[in-house]
Amino acid sequence: MLIVENLTKIYPDGTKALDNVSFTVEDGEFLIVIGLSGSGKSTLLRCINRLVDPTAGRIVWNGKDVTAAAGQELRLIRREIGMIFQHFNLVRRLSVEKNVLTGRLGYTKPSLALFGRFPPETRDLARQAMARVGIAELAQKRADELSGGQQQRVGIARALMQEPNMILADEPVSALDPVLAHNILQHLERLNQEGMTILCSLHYLDLVQRYASRVIGLREGRVVYRGTREEIRRMTDEEFQNIYGEEAVRIETGRSISGG
Amino acid sequence: MARRTVTQKERTLRTVSPVVAGVLSLIPGLGQIVIGVWERGLIFLGSMASLVGLIIWRVSVIAYRQATWAERIPVAFRRQPLLYVLVIAIIGLWALIILDAVNTARRKKTRETLAYIIIGLVFFLLGWQIVEIDMVKLFTELPDAFPIITKIAWPWPSAFVRDEEIYQGMELLYTDCEDKVIPDPLPVIDGQPYLEVSPRCGVLSGYEVEGTMLTVEGHGFRPGQEVVMWWADPVGKEFRVRYGGEFITVTPDANGDFSAAFPMPNLLIPPSAGEGPHEHKLLARQTTSVGGLKPSEGLLLAIEKMVETIFLGMMATLFGIVFAIPVSFLAAHNLMAGSPLTLAIYYITRFVLNIIRSIEPIIWAIVATLWVGLGPFAGVIALLVHSIAALGKLYSEAIESIDPGPIEAVHATGANWIQTIVYAVVPQVIPPFVSFTIYRWDINVRMSTIIGAVGGGGIGFLLMQWIRLTDYRSAGIAVWFIAITVAILDFVSAKIRERYV
Ligand SMILES: Nc1ncnc2c1ncn2[C@@H]1O[C@H](COP(=O)(O)OP(=O)(O)OP(=O)(O)O)[C@@H](O)[C@H]1O
Ligand SMILES: [Mg+2]
Repeated sequence: MLIVENLTKIYPDGTKALDNVSFTVEDGEFLIVIGLSGSGKSTLLRCINRLVDPTAGRIVWNGKDVTAAAGQELRLIRREIGMIFQHFNLVRRLSVEKNVLTGRLGYTKPSLALFGRFPPETRDLARQAMARVGIAELAQKRADELSGGQQQRVGIARALMQEPNMILADEPVSALDPVLAHNILQHLERLNQEGMTILCSLHYLDLVQRYASRVIGLREGRVVYRGTREEIRRMTDEEFQNIYGEEAVRIETGRSISGG
Repeated sequence: MARRTVTQKERTLRTVSPVVAGVLSLIPGLGQIVIGVWERGLIFLGSMASLVGLIIWRVSVIAYRQATWAERIPVAFRRQPLLYVLVIAIIGLWALIILDAVNTARRKKTRETLAYIIIGLVFFLLGWQIVEIDMVKLFTELPDAFPIITKIAWPWPSAFVRDEEIYQGMELLYTDCEDKVIPDPLPVIDGQPYLEVSPRCGVLSGYEVEGTMLTVEGHGFRPGQEVVMWWADPVGKEFRVRYGGEFITVTPDANGDFSAAFPMPNLLIPPSAGEGPHEHKLLARQTTSVGGLKPSEGLLLAIEKMVETIFLGMMATLFGIVFAIPVSFLAAHNLMAGSPLTLAIYYITRFVLNIIRSIEPIIWAIVATLWVGLGPFAGVIALLVHSIAALGKLYSEAIESIDPGPIEAVHATGANWIQTIVYAVVPQVIPPFVSFTIYRWDINVRMSTIIGAVGGGGIGFLLMQWIRLTDYRSAGIAVWFIAITVAILDFVSAKIRERYV
């Protein structure tokens, strides 16, 4: 279970990206965070694994205080939480396999990994992870030779290497076309059905309606909407615009709930 | 353009009577400044001041022997008629500036563009005069330069030589003998060529004085093969004898006999030779090439020094990498922006690197030769210093431009910072590092050819030596080697960099 209490983040330049945000995520939920560009979605997800240090508030993950953790303790928390990114964040020049293997660094002896070596069982694990997202045959290709959808699947495989209990996905499909977007989200959905908790930020209304088990909406760093799966499915364009402002428009297959 | 400037500035212009503006601009630009178009006024003032200053300087340079300006001016103008053109142009410019001031005051269209063009032209003409461009010289000197240029351009005939077998006859001759007795002629040895020379004592040629005329008869030489006259002075230095600018050569008849007449050559007898009589040797030589072609000494030396040069560049680059990598981390803003202390280190490192880089390697080479003496080591030091600064800057820029995404991602997996560097930073900086390093090696080898010239070892040193000794063919070989090496290196480095980018 993830508990976020009164989370506030003020960047050094004075931007208040999160303002007293509180919510809870039960194990096995597929929570989608929606909000306009700049509303603080990325900041929120990055606070949860402390890529960004919160200014105030508390995050408790399975009984461990993430906000207070440091050093080895923090690394152990991080390795239980996978993360996938809008721009995939693969090391472009390394092979797919190497990229997937980096997901295991939290478990490997640092001395071994320094020279690019991983034990055989870790390599087996990598093969399984790649097979699960259907990229086994791409193992030796360079990451930058892959298509966007393939790259995001490498990102998922990398996260799976951590054997996480939760995956944070920051706009995982914004750089992909609608078909690929469904493909990636279906991978996440399958993981979710196997028991993985998923926290995902998204832009498109129909994707939100299709995948979310619960939704929270952010606006200027504050939670302005909380809805269950049923409530979000009943929601009309007008209600969305009411929450997200005039910029909300339909885009192709999706109904955008933000300008981007 | 001119009109637009006037209309734009109209509101801020001060009202000045045209006459006053014109009079003010007798000091060029002052009128414009007072009216309010001060940029234009300052440009006019600055240009006129520097042009007049430069002309005065040139007059004093051209007529440097004359003591007073009254003497200098006519002399300078006679020697360099270009000065007339310059003075006329400047007076015209002055008039134009005054006119411009008047027109600006009357809010009329001005001709400032014309003034700018004239300023540009006058600077160009002055430049021509200052750097002593002499088109005529290019052509008049060509016949003298041509043989040298051809030797440098095509030095290969002297790159390969054959061994020479010398067949020679010799006689001892004397100078400064006064009334002293001189030794008898050398004895004739059976089956060997010999010379009969008279007289055997005489006076050397001097400045515009011909020395004692020698009659030389040779016997026992190889019929039909050219004989070249050589002279060995009292300390044993040999040279070919010239007469009227030509080397003296004769061809023996069917019996192997010849005769020749020429004055004793012009040479300085070193003080170490002591009191007279001084003994000289006259040598009549027939040389035959034997055996196959083999590389000449010059060619071998050039190869040796070229290899030295390549290694010189390589060592400088290798050491450069070793020092530049740590330095580059200190000079990378994204790594050093954390605290005021690291930021201060960053600025200091950048500053020092910039200063070192702005000093050319050739200057460093001069400093290094003063430090460790002439030779390739000095060259390595010079290139190393410059390489550290240049690579440090390039590397740090590579570090600054890495994508933070993968770093964040690897960090998020629970990796520690060493692992993050190995897996997310290093793979990103390797291609630019390799590329910059190869590029630097390329530059270093090029530079080392130049650095040799000031004593930094390598082929440049050899090249300068050969040019001083007027051995243009060997110099040509060196030039060719440099060109070939640089071309190959260029190609190779481009290929390697292509693969890594
Ligand atoms: N490193 C930072 N320094 C300063 N301000 C930041 C930083 N990162 C984000 N912000 C600001 O914080 C606010 C929230 O940004 P955040 O990236 O969390 O929004 P977002 O909802 O993810 O937007 P998007 O949909 O465009 O990704 C924005 O106003 C942004 O400009
Ligand atoms: Mg974002």
